Amino acid sequence: MASPYLIWLLVVPLVASLLALLAGRLGRLARPVLEVIHMASVTVVLLLAVIVTGQVLIFGDVATLNHWLRADALGGIFIVIVGLLGFLAGLYSIGYTRHDLKIGQLNLSQLGTFYALFHFFFFTMLLTVTSNNIIIMWVAIEATTLSSTFLVGMYGTRPALEAAWKYVVICTVGVAFGLYGTILVYSDAVNVIQETGMASLWDAIVRNAGALDPTLLKLAFVFVLIGFGTKAGIFPMYTWLPDTYSEAPSPVSAMLSGVLVNCSLFVIIRFSIIVNLAIGPEFTQTLFLIFGVLSLGTAVFFMLVQKDINRLLAYSSPENIGLILVALGLGGPIGTLAGLLQLLNHSLVKSQMFFLSGNILMKYRSRSLDVVKGLLQAAPITGVFLLGGVFALVGAPPFNIFLSKFMIISAGIASGHLWLMLVCLLFVMVAFTALFKMLSSVVLGEKPENVAKGETGFTTLAPILILMVLILALGVTMPAPLGALLQGATQVVTTGTSVAPSGGPGLAAHSILPAFGLPQAQQFIGLIGIQSGN
Amino acid sequence: MLNANLINTLSGLLLLTSLLVIETRKPRQSAMLYSFQSLVLVTIFLALAALMGAPQLYLWAASAFITKAILVPLILYRALAKADETITSLNTVSTPISLLLVAVAVVVSYTVVSQIELKSAAVFIPALAISVAHFFFGQLCIVTQRNLFKQILGFCLMENGSHLTLALLAYRAPELIEIGIATDAVFAVIILVLLAGQIYRRLHTLDSAELNVLKG
Repeated sequence: MASPYLIWLLVVPLVASLLALLAGRLGRLARPVLEVIHMASVTVVLLLAVIVTGQVLIFGDVATLNHWLRADALGGIFIVIVGLLGFLAGLYSIGYTRHDLKIGQLNLSQLGTFYALFHFFFFTMLLTVTSNNIIIMWVAIEATTLSSTFLVGMYGTRPALEAAWKYVVICTVGVAFGLYGTILVYSDAVNVIQETGMASLWDAIVRNAGALDPTLLKLAFVFVLIGFGTKAGIFPMYTWLPDTYSEAPSPVSAMLSGVLVNCSLFVIIRFSIIVNLAIGPEFTQTLFLIFGVLSLGTAVFFMLVQKDINRLLAYSSPENIGLILVALGLGGPIGTLAGLLQLLNHSLVKSQMFFLSGNILMKYRSRSLDVVKGLLQAAPITGVFLLGGVFALVGAPPFNIFLSKFMIISAGIASGHLWLMLVCLLFVMVAFTALFKMLSSVVLGEKPENVAKGETGFTTLAPILILMVLILALGVTMPAPLGALLQGATQVVTTGTSVAPSGGPGLAAHSILPAFGLPQAQQFIGLIGIQSGN
Repeated sequence: MLNANLINTLSGLLLLTSLLVIETRKPRQSAMLYSFQSLVLVTIFLALAALMGAPQLYLWAASAFITKAILVPLILYRALAKADETITSLNTVSTPISLLLVAVAVVVSYTVVSQIELKSAAVFIPALAISVAHFFFGQLCIVTQRNLFKQILGFCLMENGSHLTLALLAYRAPELIEIGIATDAVFAVIILVLLAGQIYRRLHTLDSAELNVLKG
């Protein structure tokens, strides 16, 4: 079905970016005008994301511009993540940048640049997840790096500039590998699909996947995994994460960790579907398992030795991305579903954690574990949220990540990977130790004398509260539309085809989420029983 | 076949010009040599357009001429005029080792490329292997050069390699795709140059080894 909303989803942030660039020159009026443009854009994009996803639920997939833009259930999940977290990071930015203006860390001209780049970055991520053209997907991923470089280096300090340089160089070099993978797939597809314009379209390549050259596809996927994996925070190219996340303004770190890494994973998943349909899933699943375990297993030990809250959170990203890859590597409907759910859950929790660390920075002017003490005294609400956030991140019940981690481990055991799951659990325990060490150091004890009591304000607490509600809600229940979307996305990943997730003929065959109510743990055991029984 | 040989030979010239770009000690001279290299790339696009009967490659040649032979070298040249002229490149590996690594990249690329069945580019296997090696050569430049502007040139070399691969394998892609990739490449250079300029103004260095505050 044709959907003009896909175009508006891209036009709105692009226009907001241009307007912000102009509004930054309005002198004293700049701040309120910029904030109106900014909030209007993120709100409209969220609404459009909901509309597009609603259309996907009804029609299966929607497309426009000669199928250059397309959304199916898999795309729908990512559109929701980008739209929702873009809105929340946008809301958080208001309070955060006001604070930066107050303490002189930003001036009005820089504020204009910040919002202009924020929306351009937002646009590039939306382009990635709505593009059906594999080469434009690469163009969009490369553009995410370029648009966020100056956001990372926004403060212009020595560490911020160093972080920005490392970020742009490592990611540009890494993503160039992705271009090779993309070119190889295209050049293979163009031999099969006679209409050359169609050969770059993902859905057309999927329909013709059986005729593609297996050797070329394997080589292409290795390039894709290395290339886009650099931006997704996959081993061994995740070294830019701690530097970037610790030096970027907190709303930017939240967008990078909660949204950008997912956009890169989205591209990897899209390519894996093509390869799986052409040569079977064993090749990509093996690579996912290897790189997943390596990402998880190496990152957790870096977490143990960190003294900066953001660097610790940054290393927690490859830990979680590793788990997502392990789930995708296990494959099948349950593994895939668990991976996608972990991806969604991690996005919510990690964004919340970076908002919280932003609040801590505003209070203490530091993120060092040697300085930040007694948060429960200094800012009790932020302290309680941090407590909840860490529990959610380690995967404690009743928070959402518990559910997805439980699904992954159960799927692994059911598919005969008991030892691998034990190793993963061991690594997760190391991450658990590191996060609790940080938590006890930050929330307990006496606050420093120079830190005043009090919270950081409504706009910096509201996004955290909204996320806390979502994190808790998704830990105990699954809203029917989201369940249907995840189910549809699982179908896209496992079969390459999309049907209307709200109820199509193909759905019954993959009804792995019949009600998704409580008690979920029991239900999943039952589901996995069905799976292994099959 | 004469034309195919011409393209393979010109690709070899591309690699030689890369060596000059990297081994020249003054970054401004490197920028000029990069412009010369881009002219070689434009010539390859023109030859390919004639040989394959692909008119879109004339457009690629025109856009590569404007962006890579003129615009990017000019941006680099002007940016370097403001930076300290006395800063020469600092290599972390010697010239013989660089040459050895290039040779290894060419052999490995040729071995891999010749294994793949590429119906559309079977006669261009040497050119294709060189384009891939060129890409790795650009990466080598980024890793081994400490001067930030030399690292940017490394990116440009890498990008020329992938652009040649793209022309050999995906020249039938819609023009908008080529425009997208070329725009990304130009903006990448502009952003890298702006950032290097900011680093030079604030930190008074163009040596990447001095960007060492963030660790662990």
